[in-house]
Amino acid sequence: MAAQGTSLKSYLLTRLALVIPMVFILLTMVFLLMRVAPGDPISASLGGRVPQAEVDKIRHRLGYDKPLIVQYREYLWDTARLDFGTTITDRRPVTEIIKVNGAATLELTIAAMFVAITVGVFFGLVAGRYRDTAADAGSRLFGIVIYAMPVFFLGYLAQLFFGSYLGILPTSDRASPLTEALLTPHTNLFLIDTLINKNWAAFWDVFRHLILPATTLGLVISGIFIRLVRVNVIRTLKDDYIEAARARGISERSVVYNHAFRNALVPVITIVGLQMALLLSGAVLTETTFNWPGIGHQLIFYLDNRDYAAVQGIIVVFALVVVFISLLIDLASAFIDPRIRY
Amino acid sequence: MNREGKWRLAALLAFVLVVVAAIGAGAARSAMTHKAAGGIIVDGTTDSVTNIDPAGNYDFGSATADALIFQHLLEAGPGGLTPHPVLATKCGFKGNLKTFSCTLRKGVKFHNGKAFTAADVVWSFDRVVRIKDPSGIYTLLSNLKSVKAKGKYGVVFNLKAPQATWPQILTTGAAQIVPKGVYPLKRVKGNTTKQIGTGPYTLSKYSPGQQAVFKKFKGYWGKPAKNDGVIIRYYTKSSTMKLALTRKDIDMAFRDFTPTELISLGKTKGIVVHKGKGATIRYLVLNLKMSPTDKLAVRKAIAYLVPRQTIANRVYHGLVKPLYSMVAAGLPGHIDAFKTVYGASPNQAKARAALVAAGISRPVNITLWYTPTHYGDSSADEFAEIQRAMQAGGLFKVTLKSAEWAQYSDALGKQYGAFQLGWFPDYVDGENYLLPFYDAKSNFTSNNYNSAKMNSLLTKEQATRVTAKRLALMRSAQTLAAKDAPIIPYWQGAMIAVSRNNVKNIPKTLDPTFIMRFWLISK
Amino acid sequence: MAAAATSVGRRRFVGLRRVLEPVAGAHGGARIMLWSGAAITTFFIVLALIGPSISPYRFDQYQANGQRFEQLAHPSSDHVFGTTVQSTDVLSRVIWATRTELEVVFLSLIFGLLVGVPLGLISGYFSGPLDRGLVLIMDALFAFPYLLLAIVIAFLLGGQSVINAAIAITVVYIPQYFRVVRNHVISVREESYVEAARAIGAKPFTILRRYVFFNVVQNVPVIATLNAADAILTLTALGFLGYGIQPSAGAEWGYDISRAISDASSGIWWTGLFPGLAIVLLVTGLTLLGEGLNETINPVLRKRRIESPELGTPTSIVESEVGP
Repeated sequence: MAAQGTSLKSYLLTRLALVIPMVFILLTMVFLLMRVAPGDPISASLGGRVPQAEVDKIRHRLGYDKPLIVQYREYLWDTARLDFGTTITDRRPVTEIIKVNGAATLELTIAAMFVAITVGVFFGLVAGRYRDTAADAGSRLFGIVIYAMPVFFLGYLAQLFFGSYLGILPTSDRASPLTEALLTPHTNLFLIDTLINKNWAAFWDVFRHLILPATTLGLVISGIFIRLVRVNVIRTLKDDYIEAARARGISERSVVYNHAFRNALVPVITIVGLQMALLLSGAVLTETTFNWPGIGHQLIFYLDNRDYAAVQGIIVVFALVVVFISLLIDLASAFIDPRIRY
Repeated sequence: MNREGKWRLAALLAFVLVVVAAIGAGAARSAMTHKAAGGIIVDGTTDSVTNIDPAGNYDFGSATADALIFQHLLEAGPGGLTPHPVLATKCGFKGNLKTFSCTLRKGVKFHNGKAFTAADVVWSFDRVVRIKDPSGIYTLLSNLKSVKAKGKYGVVFNLKAPQATWPQILTTGAAQIVPKGVYPLKRVKGNTTKQIGTGPYTLSKYSPGQQAVFKKFKGYWGKPAKNDGVIIRYYTKSSTMKLALTRKDIDMAFRDFTPTELISLGKTKGIVVHKGKGATIRYLVLNLKMSPTDKLAVRKAIAYLVPRQTIANRVYHGLVKPLYSMVAAGLPGHIDAFKTVYGASPNQAKARAALVAAGISRPVNITLWYTPTHYGDSSADEFAEIQRAMQAGGLFKVTLKSAEWAQYSDALGKQYGAFQLGWFPDYVDGENYLLPFYDAKSNFTSNNYNSAKMNSLLTKEQATRVTAKRLALMRSAQTLAAKDAPIIPYWQGAMIAVSRNNVKNIPKTLDPTFIMRFWLISK
Repeated sequence: MAAAATSVGRRRFVGLRRVLEPVAGAHGGARIMLWSGAAITTFFIVLALIGPSISPYRFDQYQANGQRFEQLAHPSSDHVFGTTVQSTDVLSRVIWATRTELEVVFLSLIFGLLVGVPLGLISGYFSGPLDRGLVLIMDALFAFPYLLLAIVIAFLLGGQSVINAAIAITVVYIPQYFRVVRNHVISVREESYVEAARAIGAKPFTILRRYVFFNVVQNVPVIATLNAADAILTLTALGFLGYGIQPSAGAEWGYDISRAISDASSGIWWTGLFPGLAIVLLVTGLTLLGEGLNETINPVLRKRRIESPELGTPTSIVESEVGP
């Protein structure tokens, strides 16, 4: 069933072409969901202070009572021009939200991914190499339990222990109020911005604020990496060429480190892309727990306010990012392993 | 292990060392930055800002930020409730209660150096009415027919109907003064653009959802602020804010902690919980067109059963007080109408008698609605207590339902038969606690209450000049409201701020106006 | 797989046997995981079934014998896990919540299987435009961060009830069942015995039912168990954010933790710790069970074809894993 010999180019084109209908489906899904859900942004801000007649007047003025199909057409046209609109709640351009808050989430997820990979690969290698020993069992159990722990629970325990009880790490936000007040954002990735400004004190401050949230999220995700790396190490160690290497008399140590581990780690790249959706979901919970001003955090805020424009724009960008990254990953995999193309 | 392993181990050790160093270095450095902070007050809040432009917001978070940048012709407090001149020097009604004129203060400069004149006042009011922002702030000016400049430093307001409380309206967020031209006449100015007002601070940096940074304005016309600046930090969860406060990341917090957190903070070393007079209220709205609340006897029974003390003590640990009228206690004209008509504590016997007399079969099935986060997490606990009290004698069978604010605020009287709402005043006068609830024209609860007698009482009240007479009318309105019981008030909240013990003067700004006057605070 | 060809048509419940035989013969780490996972899971299932009858109090009970419970009381002999801010007993709430959690997850499993498996079978077997369309939709669903999807659906349905929460979670996992089943159908459909069946004129649905279904379905228990573990996490996340079950309708661990968080910094640890531990324990049990099943059902390292990744979205973890 695996076709052979399709060129990389034709695979690339096919994959790209399939992105469009997928994006279209996602856009429609989002539109329908937001419109059909009860409650609307006007009432959310007004409700509880203004008589119904006024609310209706305003709703009409802003076009929320236009027929659904008209709203849908306008929505599609705007998205095609990359005009994700402005939020209703606080009149922010969605692109600005992506730029500023997206950067915050990016910083968090990259740091978390770093932790996840480090911890996951380490324990996965140990588990795979020393299979069926205590080290293996311990690593696997650790992976399972840590993934079973809800991010918000782990996060709060971490806040209490390190922040409150020991008092050595900050428990919320990206930086201390003063540091943040004085920071001039260039990329909105604070770690980089502080380096650009050559402000070492600010860099340490931002770094320390990143530790708890990134480690919490990263640890939970590492559970998956442990499992994956372990399996791949085991599989690789059984492969023919490993047998061949052993037969040639290469030392076990060299076999393990030079051959098996290297090859076991290749699929990790693939999984990084896979975990984007998972990471973004986990990021929502982490951001809420640590008051991290990322996209997940903003999304919940706008969702609560039934802010269609904001939620639409954000989710569309979310989906595009995930689709794009998985496209990249697929291409990379196809490039490395020709069997995968079809 | 071989080279590979050693290299890996070394990398791991290096990583650990870096982390430890970062923690250590950071701890030392943050101590330094805190010392340098000196006169900057860092305040935490769980509110959020929608639009900074006064013509575009009607919510607490935005209003708190606005109070630092913009000012009014008249302002109420601190302490006293009568409006006193700020940007004006003298104001009064001319002849009848439909014409109100003010003389403006000379020598006031905006943050951009421009001089403050009557043209700015006219501009500010005109745009609020023109823009008709979805937040609804313009409804406060619904009685304004026109505003005209009289010379460079005089202004006249022409009202549609006589309103003795017009000076109070001038203290609300709809009446904040912005410079002509800088703020567009027909639309709301964006948050990322420079905000210009006459207030004691300028907004030097605003990161949406994160923090707002205010710097002391050197060219301020009035008494300079007692601190160098303010940073307001926005949190979504009060627990995170509490941790920040105990860790000294922030100096104070205003709105909102849970009752449990407040009790715990009160016991924490180095932290002070400041309580001042409050004027926010919580009440249960009953729908007069839906069963079973369309029957007066049912409403009376509920009024006899509401467990005010239990809620105040168990749910809020004494941080709120039982409330017996929609008009907040402490305001002129307040009477404990519900206490007079229904007694101070729940009374099962009288509730049963009311239902029996009307021939209503028991238990009465009723659904109570509340919203779980908008008014704080304790709403769930509040309603658990109400449910318990109503079911205790077998008189009611209560189903509790909740909906998130966006959905809830849309539904209200359209879909719900009995529901929770809260209110903080636009201006501190009993009228603001009566009109929006009992006057058929201004009633926003959609509970279908329309009493000709009440309408006429309230119309008369607005038009009465003599205070004593106006208060008498308010008292009659409250008694009628208790007898009809379309709405049942149950608690009144204090204005609470929590701070570290080195922060001074907070009690000075805690009053029923609910305005946090940061310029009075120092540390 | 090839071995199945000879036994088909002569033995019934081929797939089922294939599942259960290796279980008896499991050894080593797989056995430990399998049995410990099963033990934990069974414990919780039993708790869900009989818990409310043996629980000291109801989940919303705030008084007994006319005496109100103390608010936020320390664990004691009266209240082994202490009480909450509403004066309800924590132990009772944890026990009752087990029922709520398992109810929702069980329902969502059923819904997911009822929708995902048939779709996967049909899509994989018949291919064509229907298949491509479904794959696109499923991939689109899969691309959505799962929690956001669940939240939006919970919003849409108005949240609150067990059924609505189950549906919200179901939608997140349908693509998984769909894809796994579809992949297996695609690989199985080219097998010689299926070709043979087609050659002798068997109707498509007969082929599906007899040959394809049981071969394919043996992977479903593993996926279902691991999905159940994930579903618990999703459900409690929903509860934590406030989009889950109406609190007066039943207890729920995630919601309890969200209320407990403001307690913890006041030194009140019992309101959040026990629900949290319950979550960790149940999810761990389900995961152990799932992993154990995975290792026993797929005992042989397959040297055969590598599963080709689906369009743009690589296959799930379980598929790329192989046993010892």
